[in-house]
Amino acid sequence: MTLAIRLSAVGKDYPHFVLKDIDLAVPEGQVMGLIGPNGAGKSTTLRILMGLVHQDRGQVEVLGRAMPAEQTIAKRDVGFVSEDMRLYKSATLAWHMAFIASIYPEWDAKYAEVLVKRFGLRKDQKVGRLSHGERVKATLLLVLARRPRLMVLDEPTTGLDPVARHEVLSSLMEAVTDEHRTILFSSHNTTDIEQISDQITFIDRGHIVESGDKELFLDRWRRVRLEIEPGVALPVLPDVVSTVGSGRLSIVTTSNYDDAMSDAWRTAGARVFAVEPMTLEEIFVARVVNSRAPEAA
Amino acid sequence: MIPFMVKRLILKDWYFQRLPILGAIGMGAIALLMVSAGGEAAFFSGTVLLVTVLIALGVHLVMATVVNEHTAQTLPFVMSLPISPREYTAAKILANLLIFLVTWGALSIGTGAVILGRATVPDGFLPFAAVILGEILASYCLLLAVALVTESQGWAIGVIVTTNFLFNAFLFWVAHMPSVAATMGTDVIVWTDALVLLLVAELAAIVFLLAFTLWARARKKDLL
Repeated sequence: MTLAIRLSAVGKDYPHFVLKDIDLAVPEGQVMGLIGPNGAGKSTTLRILMGLVHQDRGQVEVLGRAMPAEQTIAKRDVGFVSEDMRLYKSATLAWHMAFIASIYPEWDAKYAEVLVKRFGLRKDQKVGRLSHGERVKATLLLVLARRPRLMVLDEPTTGLDPVARHEVLSSLMEAVTDEHRTILFSSHNTTDIEQISDQITFIDRGHIVESGDKELFLDRWRRVRLEIEPGVALPVLPDVVSTVGSGRLSIVTTSNYDDAMSDAWRTAGARVFAVEPMTLEEIFVARVVNSRAPEAA
Repeated sequence: MIPFMVKRLILKDWYFQRLPILGAIGMGAIALLMVSAGGEAAFFSGTVLLVTVLIALGVHLVMATVVNEHTAQTLPFVMSLPISPREYTAAKILANLLIFLVTWGALSIGTGAVILGRATVPDGFLPFAAVILGEILASYCLLLAVALVTESQGWAIGVIVTTNFLFNAFLFWVAHMPSVAATMGTDVIVWTDALVLLLVAELAAIVFLLAFTLWARARKKDLL
């Protein structure tokens, strides 16, 4: 398995924030969603990947190149879009397209024209006059038309209206039909991540909480509603993340549900009246709250 | 040999600054016409305009190509391109110096031509003008260095205010040096030891500032 991205024990110290021992591996051809609340360390991690911020500890490899030392070579095949990235306001989109085309021989002019039409952009319009959504789409166009092997996207859908978000996500999904193209996509919007990701990584307070296959997350996590008679104690089961009770009703969240758990609760005298799948957002919140619990204690 | 991406970034800055360059050369030409027109009022007005044009161009260039890259958040876009931080610094220094030197050089040659070619301006004014033009170039390099090292609008503005304030004091000090004052109004060009020392000091300051900028930027770990 060829890795597009590999971070080993990567750390970065700021006065009020520490990125702690980040280990992350993204195989080639995969879409990984990096989910975390604001200030979790998503942007710092992606900036380290791009060589924009240098790690204080650990090793970073992007497309087999050590970062930041080999960033000039690595960035030839990497497209980066971030929420705080701006283009030159006084220049037109056509100027930006010509500028990028002059740097990357892989620039696909025909595909760029397709994207201009699909995104509803005008090449002769100055970037300063574009709306937020148009600016994001223009930035993404400049990356997509280069057909980079790796795309690193830092909250690209933040602030987009539903139509613009759909256009952006569709184009990203189209880009990864090529099995050698990889995307690392950060967001605190789990709906976007859920749509396009193969792999999910949860990050919170500077460390990775959990990382794995998206389908496994969705398959394993369950919310179980129980009715418990007074005096009945629930058995202690592994992988129970939280138990919230109100009167005779209890809601148990588990990170690795199987039918044996329901059998155990029934045997103890509880009635299992619902086993519900969870959305990625619910899983994310439950996982983060659970990971913070020892710190709060 | 200049790396490909450094060339691309220099050309980009040239493209964005083409109108200010043309404007500065045009205004500078008007200033030189005023200086050469004769009469004390035209001479002083032309000199002030020439100095103002050069200082304003320097301030504009640094603010537009270095400070604004941070405040307008175009730096992430540039640094996402296949370029290293060292190449980025080199591109910024080269682009700025080339743009400024083209205008400064053209107006310096024009100033020299006016001083030597027009009877209305004494030839002895040339060494004084050279030192003053050198000071403007050194101040520009200081502003460029501070902007690149600190990436701070506040620091850049501080340098602009300080160098403009000190420029007048420097002008007064050099003009009142006995050896300069004695020959400046005559048609004899005298390169006194003090003036040569000032020119060498300005050149040394420029070299030091640019070298320090490259060194300081190379030590930076965070570009954003």
